[in-house]
Amino acid sequence: MNHLKTKWIFLLTSCISIIIQSCGGVPEETSSNGPSDKVFAVADILTLVAEENDITRTLYTKGIVGAGKKQGLKFDEDWQDDEIEAGPLPALFLRGISSDIRKSDVPLGLYLGSDFPINASNKFQGKQAELFTKIKADQKPQHFYEEDQKLYTSMFADLAVAAPCVNCHNDHKSTTKTDWKLGDVMGATTWQYPSDSLSYKEAIGVINAYRNGTKAIYNAYLKEIAAFKIDSTKPQIGKNWPSKGFYLPTAEVFIDSVRKLASYHSMETLLLVERKDQNTTKDLASN
Amino acid sequence: MFNKNPLRKRQRIGSFIGIGIGLIIYIILPLKQTESFLSLGPLNTGHEGLSCNACHTDAKGNLIQQIQSNISYTFGMRKTKADFGTENVDNKKCIECHDRPNDRHPTHRFLEPRFKEAIANINAAECETCHKEHNDTRVVLKDAAFCVNCHYDLEVKNDPIDVPHEQLIKNKQWNTCLQCHDFHGNHIYKVAEKIKDTIPLKQIQEYLKGGTDPFSNKKKYKPLTEEEWIKIKNKYAKK
Repeated sequence: MNHLKTKWIFLLTSCISIIIQSCGGVPEETSSNGPSDKVFAVADILTLVAEENDITRTLYTKGIVGAGKKQGLKFDEDWQDDEIEAGPLPALFLRGISSDIRKSDVPLGLYLGSDFPINASNKFQGKQAELFTKIKADQKPQHFYEEDQKLYTSMFADLAVAAPCVNCHNDHKSTTKTDWKLGDVMGATTWQYPSDSLSYKEAIGVINAYRNGTKAIYNAYLKEIAAFKIDSTKPQIGKNWPSKGFYLPTAEVFIDSVRKLASYHSMETLLLVERKDQNTTKDLASN
Repeated sequence: MFNKNPLRKRQRIGSFIGIGIGLIIYIILPLKQTESFLSLGPLNTGHEGLSCNACHTDAKGNLIQQIQSNISYTFGMRKTKADFGTENVDNKKCIECHDRPNDRHPTHRFLEPRFKEAIANINAAECETCHKEHNDTRVVLKDAAFCVNCHYDLEVKNDPIDVPHEQLIKNKQWNTCLQCHDFHGNHIYKVAEKIKDTIPLKQIQEYLKGGTDPFSNKKKYKPLTEEEWIKIKNKYAKK
């Protein structure tokens, strides 16, 4: 009798196990299939996206803020307040990109800081402050692993690339430094990612998250313009840039210009790994 | 041929009753009418009337798949755990309805290394640190003096208020911050320039507990209603 009972229990357990196993599990949300896919070092991809960021911000600062101010466009830190009819200052343009990235599924962090920020909450502290002094001295990026957060972190110099950077910061009512000049390291961008290496798919995801962020904040600016109360303060939005008159490019035109300036270099960086791989294979074959 | 055990009948009745109760629980508990019975506590201000599955959305896969995945995880055959039953309610869930481009203190800002010490005191990187659900309130913090964690060395140039910020900080009057500044920055209102004209602390405290909004009844962005959220969710689910 006991023997029969054991048999039944064994049969029942086997059936349940088979049923559970045959269903298959919940697919895991990983974008790569195995360690062999991870062809990019995190520092390389963060460098690539930081370079895209330099191009985007320079274009925005010179082409939109600098040229736009000459046409009468205003830019303000409280640009989203209903009573203020203005666009985002370059630092807030970056913060807008950063916020949009956080809404995506890409675990990329982007922040801007300085040792003389306009807003005290952007002042570097601790390890970031320590590394920023090195960046200020040699303008070279700093890559480190943030132990507490378990995040791979890279810091890149943020230079005064255009006259509006220097003039606005020197003249700002809350500025903490009034002698900025062109070429100065005004601050640094900090980028964070949770893994030491990335697959092609993950690398493309990082680039796309950044570019989508640019599009989102630029569109938010255009939306703000649409809500301006007086029509004469609204620039004409189309193909033209403020350098041509009271115009602003559409989001597509703006992003397209960023792409034209950034894509060649980004593509080269991505392909470099492929070439390196091929050379390694050839070397191995010849040996 | 077989000798039936006289206790068998009792066993059968017991089994049927057990299965019956199980079935009733399985049918009745997921009904909308029983939601308040299942809830851990009354919902917070503004969330009254939301369905459980507005936040506690179904986890991916069926129950058996979820069991298998978690068994695999236990034995190291899988890198990540699978949500069981319902998905974890995190910042992303809150943001689905409360996303605002004008948020003065978005949670992700506090992930930066420079806020490490501040978030050790108060984890502002998580919505639920202040807005823990099922507490029938607006903010669960006991007092509203949290600004000190980041703004302890604040300096305001051309200070517009009659009692300067420097003085307020010197006196450690961190409770006064919210009398002028709304934390998320979504209210449309004019900030007072004299301390006596600011919102009284009592009204702020009442507001944090779920009372009337003393800042203004005008807000720049409104959160999605459950119906709007479902509509958007379905739109993307079809694609």
